[in-house]
Amino acid sequence: MKKKILSTLVCLTVATASIVGCGSTAAGTETAADADAQTTEKAVEAKTSSEEVKEETKQETSSDDKITLSIYTQYADDDTKVPYDYAVEQLAEAYPNVELNLIVQAQDDGQTLKTLAATGQLPDIYQASTDLINTFRESNQIMVLNDVAEKTGFIDKLYDANKDLAYAEDGNIYAFPFSGQEYVLWYYNKALFEENNLEVPKTYEDLLNCVETFTQSGIIPLALFGQEGWNTAAAYDVIATRYVAGGIKALDEGSASITDDGYVSAAKKLEELVAAGLFQKDATTTNYDQASEKFLSGEAAMFINGQWYIEDATKALGDDVDWMFYPAEDEAAYEAGKAVFSGGGSASGFAVNPDSENAELAAEVAEFITEKYCEAKVMYRHNPLVAIDTGKEPDSEYPAMMQKLSDTLPSITSTTKFTWGLTNSTFNDGIQSESQGLVSGQFTADEFIQDLEDIME
Amino acid sequence: MHNEGKKTALHYIFVAFCWIYAAFSLYPLIWMLFYSFKTNQEIFVTNPFGFPWPLHYENYITAWTKYDVPLYFLNSLLVSVGTVVITIICALLFSYATSRMVWKLKTFTRLFLGLGMFIPVQAIMIPVVKVVQRFGLMGTRWSLIFPYIAINLAFACMVYYGFFKGIPMELEEAACMDGANIYQTFFLIIEPLVRPATVTLVIYIFLNAWNEFILANVVVGSIPSLKTLPLGVLFFQGEFTTDWGGMGATMVIASFPAIIVYSIFSEQVESAMTIGGAVKG
Amino acid sequence: MKKYMGNKLAVFLFVLPALAIFIIFDFIPILQVFAYSFTDWNGLTIPNFTGLKNYIELFSDRVFYTSNRNQIIFAVVITIYQMLFATIFAITISDKKMKGRKFLRVAYFIPVILSVTVVCQLWSAILSGEGLLNKLFEAGGLDFSQNWLGDRYKAIYVIAFVNAWQWMGYQFALIVAGIKSIPSDYYEAARIDGCSNVKAHLKITIPLLAETYKFCLIISLTGGIKAFTEMNILTGGGPNKSTFTLTYMMYNAAFKKSDYGYGLAAASIMVIECMLVMLVINFIFREKNQLKEEEKSRRKRNA
Repeated sequence: MKKKILSTLVCLTVATASIVGCGSTAAGTETAADADAQTTEKAVEAKTSSEEVKEETKQETSSDDKITLSIYTQYADDDTKVPYDYAVEQLAEAYPNVELNLIVQAQDDGQTLKTLAATGQLPDIYQASTDLINTFRESNQIMVLNDVAEKTGFIDKLYDANKDLAYAEDGNIYAFPFSGQEYVLWYYNKALFEENNLEVPKTYEDLLNCVETFTQSGIIPLALFGQEGWNTAAAYDVIATRYVAGGIKALDEGSASITDDGYVSAAKKLEELVAAGLFQKDATTTNYDQASEKFLSGEAAMFINGQWYIEDATKALGDDVDWMFYPAEDEAAYEAGKAVFSGGGSASGFAVNPDSENAELAAEVAEFITEKYCEAKVMYRHNPLVAIDTGKEPDSEYPAMMQKLSDTLPSITSTTKFTWGLTNSTFNDGIQSESQGLVSGQFTADEFIQDLEDIME
Repeated sequence: MHNEGKKTALHYIFVAFCWIYAAFSLYPLIWMLFYSFKTNQEIFVTNPFGFPWPLHYENYITAWTKYDVPLYFLNSLLVSVGTVVITIICALLFSYATSRMVWKLKTFTRLFLGLGMFIPVQAIMIPVVKVVQRFGLMGTRWSLIFPYIAINLAFACMVYYGFFKGIPMELEEAACMDGANIYQTFFLIIEPLVRPATVTLVIYIFLNAWNEFILANVVVGSIPSLKTLPLGVLFFQGEFTTDWGGMGATMVIASFPAIIVYSIFSEQVESAMTIGGAVKG
Repeated sequence: MKKYMGNKLAVFLFVLPALAIFIIFDFIPILQVFAYSFTDWNGLTIPNFTGLKNYIELFSDRVFYTSNRNQIIFAVVITIYQMLFATIFAITISDKKMKGRKFLRVAYFIPVILSVTVVCQLWSAILSGEGLLNKLFEAGGLDFSQNWLGDRYKAIYVIAFVNAWQWMGYQFALIVAGIKSIPSDYYEAARIDGCSNVKAHLKITIPLLAETYKFCLIISLTGGIKAFTEMNILTGGGPNKSTFTLTYMMYNAAFKKSDYGYGLAAASIMVIECMLVMLVINFIFREKNQLKEEEKSRRKRNA
């Protein structure tokens, strides 16, 4: 027992020493490992493994021929994995001396990246949203890429329609975008509409009629994933754009007010549709996967999502799925509205940490990866709506819905924004939660207008 | 301790209730196991509760190939064990001093440390990481162990304080008479008496450290050789979609050590010496 | 004796490690949280002092009141549920005559071991619009089915239940450990006095576990005030922030709006609320402690 007391005392002094900061980190880790003397084996393990780590870092710094760049991006489903794997493969040929250390992005509203930035640990290359670009800009934690974009010819490769996506509000380039203009599509299950002898709705009256029929036959008219604020905001926006072409984009920029007639009418219309049962009862607690599975399995007749969903929807439903132009107040408004889409591009993409040891190289690599992402999306994901002209062809034909969208593109005159493209973060937070309230059916249109008016003050 | 021969209907209803509640507590374990063999479609639409058929065992293959499971596992184990050992030692000593020894400011010191229970980790994350950097701990497992100790200390100290309070003062008096010094008294006589608390806390702290995600993601998320098991779920979260079956497989892998730890240590509570025994002896 | 228990060096050595780690890795960060709550910090820039602006804004925020209301409901629900069931089950399995007690002891703790994500997924499958619970009601012909998690006012009770259900096992384990440390001769004495089983527990177990109950109370009340994860997974704080708590406000402000200062003001208020709860509980239990001491010495004399 004396031994035990002794070892504890040793541990105390060691702990004190390491806390006060005597001795280097290495000594600290080793002696502190001794503190676990009672569990000897484990301590030994810990010690050896911490030494291994040290060795690894040494190797990294001593070898000159290999440079490791850390990259923070998503890597999970086909839409994120395929482009990344392709880019890495291509990178190995073009930059044989560069290795990537992938840090997988979390679904956490930028919490991780913001903390990494605040503590000076920003990865060399990271995927930045509009919000992050604007935040990091103020603290100089995002590199100005104007010269690199010029030198590599990135600017010239951008489609004309996407030129503005590269530039932030202050006119500089902070990120290489890989997504082009994107659109909110109103998907529907053709088979279900035919089975119930329904026409694709053009007006809200038609839509209400569909809602009634579907509800009677036990089908959810439209599966919304309302737990995610962007989807409820999009649901409001597809209605708002039938009245005011600017939609939520105009509200974000401050060029329109929520109290304008069009926005009020849209809120009232959404309220009416919710009351009629357009969405499933528990829409506000449904996540993307739940709602999507409902639509893909034929339990729901309609679905609102971005055009990136075309690939998955086609895979699951084949010819039974299509998208429709958003319904409107009357036929005239419907026809006129065909040129106005909800959604749009956003200034976001691969950005570079200016404090990186290899910032210049990282910038070049970021540009390279962006191009490869675009190529992979065109070739393997059959999505031509990328930021730059890749000159590549898809490995099979475009799905019918994508073809239809491509054919429609030239006639689109106006788009709005996805919530992640909004620049006013207060409005962004407000529209997401307020539209969710409206969708829940427990907040009135008047409350919606009133609250948003208060928020915007 | 029941009055024999007098078992009423009420008693049987109560026993039945205990078993039904236990079944409800066990069900999620089975559900998680089922879940890990399903696809998103089965989980959300076609078969949320039943037996998975056909078995999508490929979820486990995906989990195993997407990241280095044994390495993450080892990291989690080292970090958790380190956290548990140091937290228990610190909390034992601290609580003994604040509950039984005589000195000024002891109540204040105790309540001061209690402050640590109340702050959510998201709020202090940035300052904590900065402290870890200042002490040069980045890139070692201590970068996780020390913050975890700090987070768990307050709770552990409070629990120990409650248990120490329940021990009669006579024990120390007797030890003092016998000529034991304060250290001997503590380690030989008092510490064994709070074993039930220690065992419970070992389980609690181990689970906390084992399942921690937020801080681990920020501190070791960019160092492949130090990543812990909870970070594995990131490989299943896409921009919009999540592979829930694969996540389920990861969680099954991560839960087994926790269940084993609980089974082993909860036995210890049972066999621990009681105060009654000590006083008698 | 006083000198023996007042050994200055021993106190110093005993207190130092815990205190040092706490101050460095927890207290200094907490101080910074309070300091930054008076600034317009966005997490990255150099903060500008803005005085009480964040707090004034906070107190005029509709969501602040919703959050506080939710926290109170949450704390009360989980406290009652956990204390009640944890006590009942702990006493039951401490009875050596109970059959299968070892199995039950593991079973009650299982939900604690599982990740919150798994437990929330399960409950969301049960509670969703077409979930198991509503289907059961419909099958039974009862008009009870409703939107459990989506209701503006009632959802918080449901979320609190899920939390209470999952973490009951902790309180259970702590109370079991507490009962284990009660000298068994107390019960023998009670039995000789002719007390019934229930009465014996009411008279002995519960009063003697005052300290255990004290920290169980603090854990569940402050756990309720701090709640975040369950809302985040089950409802995302919705609909329209009606299941927000102060931690959720902090998270939302800091990471969604890059308004760290404001978020930290919400966190600071929450820490103060928790501190108050802890002090009040300590105050209430102080008198009980004295009573307990007296009771103990009396029993000792009787024995």
